[in-house]
Amino acid sequence: MNQREISKALMEKEKPLATPLLTSLFPSCKILLDELSSTKHWASMHVSDHSGFHYRQFLLKSLISQTVIDGSVLEQNPLRSEPASVLPKDEEAAASTEEPRINLPHLLEEEVEFSTDLIDTYPGHETLWCHRRHIFYLQHHLNGRFPHSVTQLSPADSPGGTLSDLQLVPAGPHTSQAMEVDGLNDCSKQGYSQETKRLKRTPAPDSLGLEMEHRFIDQVLSTCRNVEQARFANAYRKWLVTLSQ
Amino acid sequence: MKLYSLSVLYKGEPKAVLLKAAYDVSSFSFFQRSSVQEFMTFTSQLIVERSAKGSRASVKEQEYLCHVYVRNDSLAGVVIADSEYPSRVAFTLLEKVLDEFSKQVDKVEWPVGSPATIHYAALDGHLSRYQNPREADPMSKVQAELDETKIILHNTMESLLERGEKLDDLVSKSEVLGTQSKAFYKTVSTGPLLRAPLQRAVEPARPLCPLH
Repeated sequence: MNQREISKALMEKEKPLATPLLTSLFPSCKILLDELSSTKHWASMHVSDHSGFHYRQFLLKSLISQTVIDGSVLEQNPLRSEPASVLPKDEEAAASTEEPRINLPHLLEEEVEFSTDLIDTYPGHETLWCHRRHIFYLQHHLNGRFPHSVTQLSPADSPGGTLSDLQLVPAGPHTSQAMEVDGLNDCSKQGYSQETKRLKRTPAPDSLGLEMEHRFIDQVLSTCRNVEQARFANAYRKWLVTLSQ
Repeated sequence: MKLYSLSVLYKGEPKAVLLKAAYDVSSFSFFQRSSVQEFMTFTSQLIVERSAKGSRASVKEQEYLCHVYVRNDSLAGVVIADSEYPSRVAFTLLEKVLDEFSKQVDKVEWPVGSPATIHYAALDGHLSRYQNPREADPMSKVQAELDETKIILHNTMESLLERGEKLDDLVSKSEVLGTQSKAFYKTVSTGPLLRAPLQRAVEPARPLCPLH
């Protein structure tokens, strides 16, 4: 069995200890998309396990960093190390034939829907709320005006919080840092204060997205009968408010 | 997200009678399985004995949540699940199973029945199907019938016991547990009722909170 098959077999056993490893440090978009769809079921059946969702965050971040956003045109990242056979020389051909066109906003939308569905079905799991924060932040990052930056956000403490820092893999080809396999490892510390300053200068997250999130929180709070769920919803609201300050 | 056992019992006085059970112990190591199964039977019986007729409860024991429903006619069901499994679906399952059971098995058989004598074959299928709560019961979150505020929450098995009663004593006196299981129970210093399967990167265990 190759490594992927072994990983898959491990995942299907009851309680894997670690997320599956990709066989390459620079997986192709197709592999990333495949992994995203094939790990969905596992994540939904292990709603208190951070590793499944952390992996999905890693996949989405990798997809974002593989795609250079330039105005409204999506181009493939030339640093990708996929063998040449997969990459036709003509970029338009690449977009339409060999590599799947990645609709990042749509993917993130789908992930939000996935998150909503899980939060509604399985109330009271912090993991799901953590995941939602990551996705919201990725959306904001994508919609935002800083596609080439490294950004780091320390979310507001949630009560009894165990929320790890939200850190993004460098996007775009001009950063010195190589793409990390484990996307949540710390970025260089010296970048921190510079980035927090940059973050404070950024425009507020798009208000429509924020408004929808607040409505979601309202809906959860009005229908939930689980104390933990209410606590997480309120903490999420507080975090969203910090994001726009 | 896992279901480990599903049992139907009769709440007799003073003891609960096991009528039928289905188990999924595949996640436990081979040599633990029969002990685990015995402990789950022991736990199910104990919970039914200590729960009032016409009540529903969730009892937390380490990584496990035991959901019990005792009907007014003394027919009872216990499902042992992990902490991810949504309790709403667990109670829907219990309701469904007891309803079906009471239609298939005559009332006179309940007080004196045993898994060997009772004819009810659907339990394994239910346990297997309900491993995926959303497939088995897609409408569950919409159901308003179950009044969740009435479900009693116990944070430990101990809280079910009478004052002065010890779980250790109940274990040694139990007819359900074999000698090996009892010996195994004694070797674990803190005496947990069920050994948790392999740990993973889960959320910290929280005590059960009453609903508002």
